[in-house]
Amino acid sequence: MEIDLEQKSPSIEQVSDLLAEIACQLMTSGAHTMRIIQNISRMAKTFGYEINISVFQMSIMMTIAEYSNPTNRLTIVKKTKPLLLNFTHVSELSTLSWDTYDKRLNYQEIQSRFHEIVTRKRMAPLLVLFLVSLANASFCGLFKGDFPSMGLVFGATLIGFFVRQQMINRRINHLVIFTTSAFTASLIAGLGYIFQWGGTPQIALATSVLYLIPGVPLINSILDIIEGHILTGIARLVNASTLIVCIAIGLFLAMLILGLEKL
Amino acid sequence: MNSQMIAEVIYDGFLAAIAAVGFAVISNPSREAVLVSALLAAIAHSLRFFLIKSGFDISIATFVASSMIGLLSILFAKIIHCPAEVFSFPSLLPMIPGLFAYRTILGLIKFMQNTNVLKSQGYMIDFVHNGLTTLFILLALVIGVSLPVLIFPRYSFKVTRKY
Repeated sequence: MEIDLEQKSPSIEQVSDLLAEIACQLMTSGAHTMRIIQNISRMAKTFGYEINISVFQMSIMMTIAEYSNPTNRLTIVKKTKPLLLNFTHVSELSTLSWDTYDKRLNYQEIQSRFHEIVTRKRMAPLLVLFLVSLANASFCGLFKGDFPSMGLVFGATLIGFFVRQQMINRRINHLVIFTTSAFTASLIAGLGYIFQWGGTPQIALATSVLYLIPGVPLINSILDIIEGHILTGIARLVNASTLIVCIAIGLFLAMLILGLEKL
Repeated sequence: MNSQMIAEVIYDGFLAAIAAVGFAVISNPSREAVLVSALLAAIAHSLRFFLIKSGFDISIATFVASSMIGLLSILFAKIIHCPAEVFSFPSLLPMIPGLFAYRTILGLIKFMQNTNVLKSQGYMIDFVHNGLTTLFILLALVIGVSLPVLIFPRYSFKVTRKY
């Protein structure tokens, strides 16, 4: 009977480890700072702890203290993993935090559900590849590119994104990945310029690298700045801008090789 | 508004929906979220296209379109019980000023390479113009989409709650 009771009230170390892990997972999956703080505070409240948390790009710091006994407290710092967008995690962990609050889930249940969520499989890479290529082709259409240009952008994105997926699997530096992927895609799209395929080769070249633009980090950064988490927001903005510089460098190199001056 | 304009607006919305689906799947959302973001992107992007065609400036048109996404996303978040940003962000992605963003950097590279004063003035103007356009569109997107959250904060954060 005593063992049972012990299982029901986890120690402060266990709670803080679990909460830090969830916070890092949310950060990695691309949640904005306000969402992370609210989810984690909500879960901590259920266990009877007060939490103060600061979220940075590379690490998360939190101090957790018991409501009934404030001398029982703990501060931990946890390193976050590099960004790998996953909105299923954001949405499921958000639901989990409300369920914890409303259904009074215990520690074991939360832990098992958390592990079930993070081990869930992503969408098949080949399907993603196809959909991204289709998206970029229709993006070319949005910028008034004609059908040959759209076809060219489809092919360019298909190869460029494939290169990116393969390089991500081999854990190459992400700046190198962005530059190489942009270079490959724009080199292929630039062929349309050389051989004059279709009436709008310049649009094909310009839109061929747009699938790489880090949209979600850009939105998150502005959102963080608006909500007052200025340091984190600026860190995200600088991160996204670095990636855009890499895209521009890749594109620039391709234009240099193909001998194109204007875009 | 003639029939050709209507056809163009619908074509724009259709392409935006495909673009939203493709850019959404990179961030691995659930299936319902992908469908909702495609719908929202189609509505918002065709609205923006229409506004630009009627003579509005691109950042104001973007602001109106993204406010539309913000309001609708609160409604859909209530229906499918998931945080609004899971589908409102992907539906914003077709409107992200990516072209302006890397043209800013390219302008900077050209400015650095060029020694002719007159030509480099042109590149400087390009740089400032593209950079400011990027910034203002981004601000318009984010402020527009978070407008409902800023106006009704208590309601917006509770939509994922099931009970």
